[in-house]
Amino acid sequence: MKVRIRPWGVLVIGLIFSIALSGIAYGALGDRLLGKGSKGQEVIDLQQKLEQLGYVIEKKDGKFGSKTEAAIRLFQKERGLRVDGLAGTETINELRLLTGQSTNTTGKAVGNKNVDTNLLARCVNAEARGEPYVGQVAVAAVILNRITDPAFPKTIADIIYQPRAFSSVDDGQINLPPSASASRAAQEAVNGSDPSGGAVFFFNPDKTSNKYIWSRPQIKKIGNHMFTK
Amino acid sequence: MHRKFWIGALTVALLISLGWGFNEYRLAGDYRLDAENNNQRAFNDFASHLDQLETDLAKGDVASNPTQKILYLSQVSSKSDAALKDFAQIPAEQIGLSYIGQFLVQTGDFSRTLTQRVAGGGKVSAEEEKTLRDMHERLMPVNQKVQDLIVRMGTENLVWTDPKPTIRKRLGFNGTQIAEAAADGNVAPSKSVRSGLDQLDVSLQKLPPISYTGEYDTRVVAKPLGLPTGKVTRDQAQVTARDFLSKVGFTNNTPVFAGDSQSALSTYTWNYKQAYLEVSHQGGVVTFYRDQRSIEPRKLSKEQATSKAKVIMQSLAWQMVLTSSEDFGAYIQFDFIAEKEGVRIYPDKVRLMIALDNGQAVGFDAVPYYSFHHSRTLPAQMPMDLAVGKLRTDFQVSERRLAVIAKSGNKEVYSYEFRGKYQGEEYLIYLNAATGAEEKIQRILKTPRGEFLQ
Repeated sequence: MKVRIRPWGVLVIGLIFSIALSGIAYGALGDRLLGKGSKGQEVIDLQQKLEQLGYVIEKKDGKFGSKTEAAIRLFQKERGLRVDGLAGTETINELRLLTGQSTNTTGKAVGNKNVDTNLLARCVNAEARGEPYVGQVAVAAVILNRITDPAFPKTIADIIYQPRAFSSVDDGQINLPPSASASRAAQEAVNGSDPSGGAVFFFNPDKTSNKYIWSRPQIKKIGNHMFTK
Repeated sequence: MHRKFWIGALTVALLISLGWGFNEYRLAGDYRLDAENNNQRAFNDFASHLDQLETDLAKGDVASNPTQKILYLSQVSSKSDAALKDFAQIPAEQIGLSYIGQFLVQTGDFSRTLTQRVAGGGKVSAEEEKTLRDMHERLMPVNQKVQDLIVRMGTENLVWTDPKPTIRKRLGFNGTQIAEAAADGNVAPSKSVRSGLDQLDVSLQKLPPISYTGEYDTRVVAKPLGLPTGKVTRDQAQVTARDFLSKVGFTNNTPVFAGDSQSALSTYTWNYKQAYLEVSHQGGVVTFYRDQRSIEPRKLSKEQATSKAKVIMQSLAWQMVLTSSEDFGAYIQFDFIAEKEGVRIYPDKVRLMIALDNGQAVGFDAVPYYSFHHSRTLPAQMPMDLAVGKLRTDFQVSERRLAVIAKSGNKEVYSYEFRGKYQGEEYLIYLNAATGAEEKIQRILKTPRGEFLQ
């Protein structure tokens, strides 16, 4: 029997294969709808962007699992998008927008401009996880109030890492990625909100026996935290 | 056979665990050494910066030529900043306000204010020279004591912080603690670096506060300036709270009293569903409101939310101009500013947050307004053309107006606000409306959430 080789046919099939392969291997985020079960580089990009904004996914493994889906749902909820757990065009554009760099007037990128806010968010997350949102803004505001108080160091990092200033620094919780609500609270406090009423200390009355902190004039209680002068 | 096997296995296990233990011990030692080196560096740096600060203060005092004065005074501020940074890194066992830190902040702050003045062609008054000398006088013993601690560190093996009190001490067999003893005035030699610094703290605390004007001389307004007069009762406050809540969309609401807040701007706090609200004791006005409900998917565009915000401000009887907004996704935050005869009063600010699902207000914050609002008499300003002439000729102005802006140290400045471009960057430049002197420059950046002033 004679085997007929059709060079054009082979070429066409090869071309289709290689285009399909490169589509899978180099697929850019936003090219297709991602949902539970999706895999690949695009999913890693998606997970990275979610983590950058404080939506925690334990492993950035390129597999769209239930953790990723939960993060997408939370993100959609908080951004006021339709909550479906799928990363479609709308969701991905929103993620792109928020993780993008800041620019000057001519459009030149100047970085994310959120170094301090990010550290602040981590401190809020570690100190006030599980507190009402207003309480989280208040914790961020306490740290910022210290900057304008002569008795404290003058940068956010110096205040947060001052020895024994925050228990979350001593036990390492400060290094956990901040939650989305902590990030938002930090952002809001940086914008000037201060629900703490000018406090420079806060503590949990049920867990603290420190005499000094109890001796400070109390301002108000939000959630489990007492805010003091 | 069996026995030999077990002995062998146990020996191997013992050797492995010994090896592991030794390795861990060595690692822990390395970490301890790292931490110790860091502490030493901070403390020695602190001592050295303090020493330079002391010298520069003396030189800044004696210098009579303005350029020399600027040089030494600016060194004073940078050295005190550096000393403060080192000081904040020295180990401590508990939190508390520190007078050494405060003293350093004030020294740096005061000299920075003087530097700026002298650089702008101003003079240092006799009184200010005295304050500067006062600061020097106070710094000398601090410097001495810190140097003494450094010496003792080498000779007496001082530890960083006092060891935890033993059971004997806790039961009260060991007399008073060092800090208490220091507070009583009989200074026992300190056993640790921290207790030495605490003693210094106590001795500084006894001195009268330094009075001067600078960025950190006082905290935010000691007393709110804009609250209406007269105390209100809790019942009156509840009526106000109910009225406010019904205006932002809660019909037939009954706010529940949640306690008082005690501060310069003290309030009755109220809860209703997931909303939180504060009504001031004095004047009985709503200062802060927040609805923490979960927000549904967006239905409103930004433009629709903007007009909603304006309507709500009207219904709450606020006559203000909208100046900026920030997009938080599920809601938008709007900043409204008071405007009087075409002059924007930036310190008098009210913030409103509009949810994008139903257009209701989910946040309101009038604390800045009630803190800073007062009737202002604005000085005569120079003509706009003259002010424009003070700008760089290549600065392309796109917007111009008069404004009252806040400057550090709770000061307000009546100024011309110019928005414009220079070399591809956009800025806000504020010139003093009376003198034309440059008061403040802000760079405008575009972030994903909105415009950002840096």
